[in-house]
Parts: sequence; structure tokens; C-alpha cells
Amino acid sequence: MAATRSRSKLVWDIVSYIVLIGLAFICIAPIVWTFLTSLKVESDIVTRTMHYIPPSITFENYVKLWNQSSYPTLVINSLIVTSTTVLICLLTGTVAAYAFSRFQFKGRTQLMLGYLVVRMFPAVLMIIPLFIVMRQVGLLDSTFGLAVAYTSFLLPLFVWMLKGFFDAAPKELESAARIDGTTRLGAMFMVVIPIARNGLLATCVFVAIAAWNEYLFALMLTTSTGSRTWPVGLQLMVGEFQLPWGMLAAGGMISILPVIVLFALVQRAMVAGLTGGAVKG
Amino acid sequence: MISNTGPAYSSPQRSAFDRYNPLRWIGELSETRYWMYLLLLPSALLICAVVIYPTLYGMQMSFHEMRINRPGLGNGWVGLKHYQRMVTDPVFWVSLRNTAVWVTSAIALEFLIGLVAALALNRNLPGSKVLAVLILLPYFLPNVVAGHMWALMLDPRLGVINDLLVKVGLLQGYKAWFADPTTAMAAAIVVEAWHSFPFFTLLLLAGLKGIPTDLYKAADIDGAGALSQLRLITLPMLKTIIAAAVILRVIGLVNSPDLLLILTSGGPGRSTQVLSLYAFQTAYKDFNFGYAGALSVVMFVLLMVFAWAYVRLSKVNED
Repeated sequence: MAATRSRSKLVWDIVSYIVLIGLAFICIAPIVWTFLTSLKVESDIVTRTMHYIPPSITFENYVKLWNQSSYPTLVINSLIVTSTTVLICLLTGTVAAYAFSRFQFKGRTQLMLGYLVVRMFPAVLMIIPLFIVMRQVGLLDSTFGLAVAYTSFLLPLFVWMLKGFFDAAPKELESAARIDGTTRLGAMFMVVIPIARNGLLATCVFVAIAAWNEYLFALMLTTSTGSRTWPVGLQLMVGEFQLPWGMLAAGGMISILPVIVLFALVQRAMVAGLTGGAVKG
Repeated sequence: MISNTGPAYSSPQRSAFDRYNPLRWIGELSETRYWMYLLLLPSALLICAVVIYPTLYGMQMSFHEMRINRPGLGNGWVGLKHYQRMVTDPVFWVSLRNTAVWVTSAIALEFLIGLVAALALNRNLPGSKVLAVLILLPYFLPNVVAGHMWALMLDPRLGVINDLLVKVGLLQGYKAWFADPTTAMAAAIVVEAWHSFPFFTLLLLAGLKGIPTDLYKAADIDGAGALSQLRLITLPMLKTIIAAAVILRVIGLVNSPDLLLILTSGGPGRSTQVLSLYAFQTAYKDFNFGYAGALSVVMFVLLMVFAWAYVRLSKVNED
């Protein structure tokens, strides 16, 4: 009995490894292939015989994309929009998450549910009025306007995720600080937020990645190079200038590099934060 | 205000500086009964401004004529005109059918792969932490890049997948996956599944960690095999998580046309035209905001009805 059980455990271990390695390969292969393509000369990409390993390695695609297109401007615009979005979420969302986590008050459950339900609203339904309103107030085609629009789906997410991290922070230290005469304000900024700083960082990174990647709002709400973000710019280059595959691959690699680095750095806390709410409720 | 609801501890010998120190002022405010509402105010106002107001505006828009490129038509009230047009609009019905195919197939595939990955990761084998990072990575990549990576690999002239399939002997020659109406949707579903199955892995893995191991030990003693353990313990215990994950994914998938917009723009023909994409193109290309609004409202209502029915059904099954 014990022998068959340990043998079946071994079999399932092996099956698990095969599944995991296979899936990891499928997940990584497109990224690796894009990277290899970005290092190839265009004539090695567009060829009748497939080159699995680049016959010659070149950084020409990166250099050309960086020097001859508006890509640097697009990346800078994206950086501005992303950091503005994170900043707005930090300023308005941190205190909201704290309130949900630490206080019992009338309407708490309904309001929290409301923060969840607004994410169900179709983006398209919001984008059109946002377009009209932003045009009226002069925020259309501006990085700030786009960042404000991003908070429509990222702020509720930020609040929910951060609330989970605040819930996990022990309440004893806070009580001790309160007994010592610290105000609620002081306890929040000097005790709770520092304890939950890893969670706060993970939440910010998650929001930053989402804002960095966003395409639809940016497509509708920006019209000029002055505020256009990289996903829209890259897509336009493909459409209008028939961007060569090598340069497109290089653009893709440049754009996902920050995402991969940030994800690798804080993935554990981020995964915990993303799954926390779902497990509890 | 401060004097009315001021804190009990405030010391009598406050200096003039303290009185006007904003930090002190907010600190005292934080002791009042309204503090939590003040904390919620900024985010609630912002959400009202960028979500609630635009959504209501959009709903109202669907009853008006609103064509940005033809201001001559005015912004008059047209009642149910847009909704009536929808009934006889063949593209609407095609989009509706495609949405159903797109959402159900993609989610079924994502759920299956996600579950298998979560089960394998949950065995906590050595090295599975690194593999988990690699497996979760696609979910965090931008749609634009994910779309182009796969467009490159599936390209009819230089696609590596075509090359591999021909070498293995599964294909006679290179295939234009996204240009053929019979394969475009399937190819897009594969890309979508690759991009989003980690979402299910993430949630299911968290759910698996919450199942008490005693249950499996008891099942071992009773001689239940791995598959019956999966059917009788794991899946029933994951029911709530599965329901939550499916709902969240359905909402995400129905609402966002991004990936299809990048891969196919709804083509060839109307073979990959989904409702959200149709609404977006009606707004973005035709500038017919009224009709686009009506399409989104219908999409939203269908989504709400689905979510409600799904929650009800999964609750009924529990009883």
C-alpha cells in the first residue's frame, strides 16, 4: 500500500514537472522569439529559410527605433502618465483603503461593493463621455487627462488590493501608539503605512504595470505625439509606416523590459495581494 | 468645528504656532466621528467624476443623436431609435454571436490550462517557484506586445509556428491564420488564452492552498485515486473561487476589445467582430457616439444579467 502510494506520488511529481516545464516554455517562447527577432538583420527575418538562431547579431533595430522614430518621446509620455496615475492612486486611494480596513461605519459594505462594481462598467461606455468631457475642460490629449481617466479602473483595484495588505498588518502596534497619545492621523502615517510598505509597493507596481500597458483609453483620448503613449504609438507605426518586423520586435522588447523587471522584483507580494481578496470573499 | 468636536486630550497650553499648524489641525480632525468619511471622500469623488458620471452620460447619450463628425444632425432626443436600429442591424447579431464564442471558448481554455498549472504548482516541487514566475509572466504583458509577438509567430510568410507545423508534417504549407475567416477566431482565442490563463492559475492556486490537507489524507486512507480526489474534494472546495474567477474574467473579456483590435480589427469580414469592438469602432471610426453608447448599454445589461444568473445558479448548486 505504502509502496504503491509513493510510486503514484513519484508518477504525479514527474507529470507535474513535465506540465510545468512545458507551460513555462509556452509562456516564455514568444518573448524569446521576439528577442531573437529583434537581434536579427531584416533580411534574416524576411527569408524563405527560417533562422532559429540569428546568423548575425545586430543592435541596429534598437538604434534605429530609438534614433529615427518618436519612440523616446512615446516612452517618456508613458512614464509621465504612469507615474501620474500611481501618484493619484497613492494620494486618494491609500487613505480610502485605510478607512475600509480600520473603521466600521454606516454604508461600509455597500461602498466597498460599489468600488468593486464600477469595474464592471464597460470601458467603451465610459471612454466616449470621457472624450467629450475632457475636450470641454481641455484635458483631451494631455498626459494628465489620460492619467485621470486611468484611475477609473485602477483606483478601485488599488483600494481593494491595498485594503488586503492593511488588513494583514497587525493592529496591536497601532493601538499602542494610540494609547501613547498619537492621533489617528499619526497612527496611520507613522505606524500602519510603514508596516504595510511592501504591500503598498506591490500595489503601486501592479497599478503602474496596468497603466504602462493600457491601450484603449490612450487610443481614444490622445491624438498627438505630445501625449501619445507607447502602445498607441507602436500600433500606429505598424499601421502607417509598415514598421519592419525587427524594429517592431525591438520596440516590444524595450516596452516589456520594465514590466518584466518590476514583476520579477515584487511578484511575491503582488501575487499575495491579487489573490488575497478573492480567497477571503 | 474643532472646538465643537475637539479631542479630549488637547492640552490647554497650545501655542499660537500649534493652532495654525495644518498637521495639528488634521490630526485633531482625525479624532472626530467623520474622519473615515473624509478619508473616503477624495477617492469617492474621483470615482464619481471618472466612472459614475461618464457612465450615466453614456447611457443618456444612447437616447440622443450624437455624431461628432456631423454636427448638422444636432444632439436631439431620438428615444429608442438606436435600440431599434440594433434589432435590424446584422452586424450587431454577428457580434453578439462572436462575443459568445470568443468568451466561452477563451475562458474554457484559460480555466483548463490555469487549473492544470495550479494543481502542478501546488505540489511545491523544488524549482516550482521559478517556474511559477515564468508561468505568471504573460498576464502582466501588454496586449499590444502580446498581439504582435503572436502575429509575428503566426505570420503567413515568416511565422515560426507555420515552419514548425510544416516540419512536423501537420501542415502542407504556411497558413495565414488571421486572414482566413475559419481560423482567425481560433487563432485569436489561442493568443488570448496564452495571455490570460495565468489569471486562473493565480486565483486557483490561492484557493488550493486554502484546502485542508486532512481531507486528502482521509481520502488516501479510503483509497481514493488522484482523479476522484480532484473530482470529489478539490473542485467542490474551489467552487467559490472558480465562480469568482469566471465572473471577473467574463467581465474583463466582454468589456475589452484590445486584443482583437490589435490582432484582426474584427476581420476578415466580420469573423472576429465582437460587441465591445463594434461599439468602439462605431465611436472611434464612425464617430456615431449615440449608437456606440446604445451598443455599450446593451452589452452592460447583458453582462449584468449574466453575472446575476451565474451567481444565482452557483448558489443554487451549493444548497
